[in-house]
Amino acid sequence: MANRTSTAQRPNGATQGRICQFKLVLLGESAVGKSSLVLRFVKGQFHEYQESTIGAAFLTQTVCLDDTTVKFEIWDTAGQERYHSLAPMYYRGAQAAIVVYDITNQDTFGRAKTWVKELQRQANPNIVIALAGNKQDLANKRMVEYEEAQAYADENGLLFMETSAKTAMNVNDIFLAIAKKLPKNEQTTGPGGSGQGRRLVEGDTGAKTAGNCCK
Amino acid sequence: MGELQQNLTQYCFSETSRMLLQHREMQFGAITFFAKEHKGETCGSNGLPLTPNSIIIFGRAQLLKTIKHPYLCEYLDIIRGKHERTIVVSQYCGEPLSHYLAKNELSIEDIKRIAHQILLGLNELHDRNIVHRNLSTDNVLLQENKDVKLFNYGLFYMTDHGKLVSFPILKTLYAAPEVYLDGLNNLSNSKADMWSLGIILTELVLDKPLWNTLKLSQCIRKILSLMHGTTSIFERIIREHNCYEKYQLLPPDLKQLIEDCLNILPKNRPTTKQLLERDIFKEFQNGKTNSKNKIYQTFDTFTLKELYYWWQLAGGDVFLELKKQGLIRSSPPVLSLPNMILIEGAVLGQERNPATLYEPRIVQMPLDTLYQRFAHIPLSSYYPLIHSKSEIIEKFEPPSYDASDLPLVIREKDPEYQFHRTILFRRLLHGYPFTRNRIIKEAQVDIPPLLRGEIWAALLNIANNYEKEYVEIDKQTSTITDRQIEVDIPRCHQYNELLSSGVGHQKLKRILKAWICKNSQYVYWQGLDSLTAPFLYLNFNNEAKAFACLSAFIPKYLHNFFLKDNSVIIQEYLAKFSQLIAFHDPVLANHLQNINFVPELFAIPWFLTMFSHVFPLHKIFHLWDKLLLGDSSFPLHVGLSILTQLRDTLLNSGFNECILLFSDLPEVDIEQCVCQSLETYNSTPKSITSRSHQNAENASELHITGITVQELNREKCSRISANDVVNLVRNFPHKIVIIDIRNPLQFSRCCVKGSVNIPCSSVTFGDANLDSFGVHSGLLKNAQNKIIIIVGTEETDLELFPKFLLQCNIPKVCVLHGGFNVLLPITPTVLITQNQI
Repeated sequence: MANRTSTAQRPNGATQGRICQFKLVLLGESAVGKSSLVLRFVKGQFHEYQESTIGAAFLTQTVCLDDTTVKFEIWDTAGQERYHSLAPMYYRGAQAAIVVYDITNQDTFGRAKTWVKELQRQANPNIVIALAGNKQDLANKRMVEYEEAQAYADENGLLFMETSAKTAMNVNDIFLAIAKKLPKNEQTTGPGGSGQGRRLVEGDTGAKTAGNCCK
Repeated sequence: MGELQQNLTQYCFSETSRMLLQHREMQFGAITFFAKEHKGETCGSNGLPLTPNSIIIFGRAQLLKTIKHPYLCEYLDIIRGKHERTIVVSQYCGEPLSHYLAKNELSIEDIKRIAHQILLGLNELHDRNIVHRNLSTDNVLLQENKDVKLFNYGLFYMTDHGKLVSFPILKTLYAAPEVYLDGLNNLSNSKADMWSLGIILTELVLDKPLWNTLKLSQCIRKILSLMHGTTSIFERIIREHNCYEKYQLLPPDLKQLIEDCLNILPKNRPTTKQLLERDIFKEFQNGKTNSKNKIYQTFDTFTLKELYYWWQLAGGDVFLELKKQGLIRSSPPVLSLPNMILIEGAVLGQERNPATLYEPRIVQMPLDTLYQRFAHIPLSSYYPLIHSKSEIIEKFEPPSYDASDLPLVIREKDPEYQFHRTILFRRLLHGYPFTRNRIIKEAQVDIPPLLRGEIWAALLNIANNYEKEYVEIDKQTSTITDRQIEVDIPRCHQYNELLSSGVGHQKLKRILKAWICKNSQYVYWQGLDSLTAPFLYLNFNNEAKAFACLSAFIPKYLHNFFLKDNSVIIQEYLAKFSQLIAFHDPVLANHLQNINFVPELFAIPWFLTMFSHVFPLHKIFHLWDKLLLGDSSFPLHVGLSILTQLRDTLLNSGFNECILLFSDLPEVDIEQCVCQSLETYNSTPKSITSRSHQNAENASELHITGITVQELNREKCSRISANDVVNLVRNFPHKIVIIDIRNPLQFSRCCVKGSVNIPCSSVTFGDANLDSFGVHSGLLKNAQNKIIIIVGTEETDLELFPKFLLQCNIPKVCVLHGGFNVLLPITPTVLITQNQI
């Protein structure tokens, strides 16, 4: 899957820019809002009764960052613990991950920490991990303090934002922050972003590189 | 003469069928009201929007539909309109008791009978913990035979004791004093109904409405004033109305009965049971016991629910009728704007829409269109023959309405066709389980939507002890799975009113918990909720049956899918799916293979939930109608037919486009999908899709064993069992091409009848080009939909050859499992030896 040939489409407006493709995976306990975050980011929609995800769903979205066009290939996974065995199939080879928890539920934060640990241990060593405290619109029912999550994120070198798929708060921002942090050339540094084996190519003259999907 | 007789018979027939159809009790009417709107906060504690009160009412009211009692009007339907409007359709026949007052029409004997029947009706309600609360002479309907039917008895129940509406549920004069004193949202108990009964009986014995000149407030004051004083309330009412002579003439037992009902203290009023045991009703009790002694229960040719359903199909529209009668009026939205809205959402200066008050009017639904439409249907159609041994009788049977050429959606909307189908299935279901084979046969034609739940249960072979089994299962004890179930239920088919109602959530949860508890070897996988939803929807008032259906469905189609570790089962299933695609559509299979678009990425939710997670309910129904008639391989064919429908798009797309297509599954034409699934299902040898993990009970033909998932994934073409090959050779030799890939020497010694020898060594597997087969290339090019069976031995390469054919886009290639040698012992033989050549 990683070395398939994919056609990078040039979105409107991005004429001269470089096109960069990244695989991003969403992880987290079920019903924390993973699919809702993706739906908000990709289609600008929100469904109150978003159906549960079985297996995984796939969506793409492109964002423009200065002169670079970043195309996210987003794998939205099933949250139920039982589907855990499928997860490696999706985070394998991913350059970015958003680990989501629900700020009104302490257990989901615990589960998010386990996901972070698993990613740090088993995923691509350069993976950019973002922590998203979702359902910020329900802040009056908050069970996970902002400071607590921020401290945890700092300790582990994660991007962190509280988001709300319902109000769209910080949804685009967290994806943009990831896009910024993702190494777009080999000089990029930063936690988990040495950019090894990743190459960025101008426009469509893509040279295929085995083992990653940046083209 | 003969003609005259025939005409006469026909006349009698149509007269009787007219009487059947136009039975006096086969009538219905509707009332309408508004549910209370949520004020202020719109989200519940879980962040989800609050369930609209009309949906809660909708869910609660379903139970009322199950009540069938001779003295209660049957509830038929609940319809939700805009702005929390709720319409309740129920049986409505006869005249309100109030119409009989002051006409001197009812004798004391009649009144006793009425009292008895009201009590029987109330008793049925009170047994179900339903309080009428609204009992008055307006909603006690008297039939022509002077039998009684209580009407609108469910309003208090469905509105959760009046909490879900903004008007009080009571009839001023008839409401018991405690109803006023406790506040309007109190949990009135059944004793309030006894008071109302007392008032009704008082009116009947006096033969006049009480205090009919008083205004509303005076009326309430009057009732409350009754609490003062210690003398008999009944007597005081009598005196106020100057009817003491009548009072003195009353039989003492009736007097006592009314007296007891009109007791100020609810606890001192008798219960329905106590009253029914009194001597006053002794004379009515004989008839009741008689009917119970019958050996078998007679059944209705059709029910009121069915009549209502046909009426709707014939163009009947409750909403429209209510509009015609002025019960539903639309006013310009600008008139309902408030003067001010505070930022917190509080609304000020909004005039209350008078329609949100209680509207007591009832609109009788006109049935003439239906009568006209069904006028020509002969009596015999009401009693279709199910078993007939004589051909003459069978010929006499008039051909039932023929609509078989019409598309399914049209047939489902055709009142006359549905009439015949419902009548037939109703009869067959009464004979279940003995009529199961006939039910299956008829279900192959189609399934009438109204009886789908019952027919599915019959197809799934549900035994009749399912209720007991369900009752005994622990559905309450909390388990670790609860959190998961709780977060999944509010996301499961929530566009549906039933499943999004509170009652729907509770029921779904109980069924899921029961299933987990009953099947300790399995665990809850997300998706089980979606799988349960169709059964719950169809058996909403019969949880036990929904559970029984689920419990029968899973072993049949999803054996071991819900094991804690189900990866092997799913992998095998998906590998088989890939092989099936290759078998029928090599071009598509090769394309998907090339772009690495494997079923693991998109088909897990399809098969794990039998498509119930990816389709809306109305599509699932049509799909499962056919699924239930097939075996566990049918879903694979459904999967294939979905891919076939999207074939052009898939062939022109790369990986990303393909997977995006499935993330948001485009509109699938389900009828086409079902037809195509049936076609491939019937044209595929069973062993092509056989799995080692399918339920052993229905795998008697299984002759392929011992294949690992790794092998399966490697083999791009499916194996076929010797059993199937022998069957094909013997019965359908024109449908197959057998290619023997052993060396010519072995082939000439002994081979399968009609087989062609293309030794493996003679082919150069270079480019995917059929010309590599030399003289035989023509044979393969012209195989046209024949099944190509590769026969080899252990020494020959059984993977390369079929794989090459697949790459050449040759369909229906399969490999004989076990190789040539498995055919040796089979008798009578399908082989020929050298001598015979």
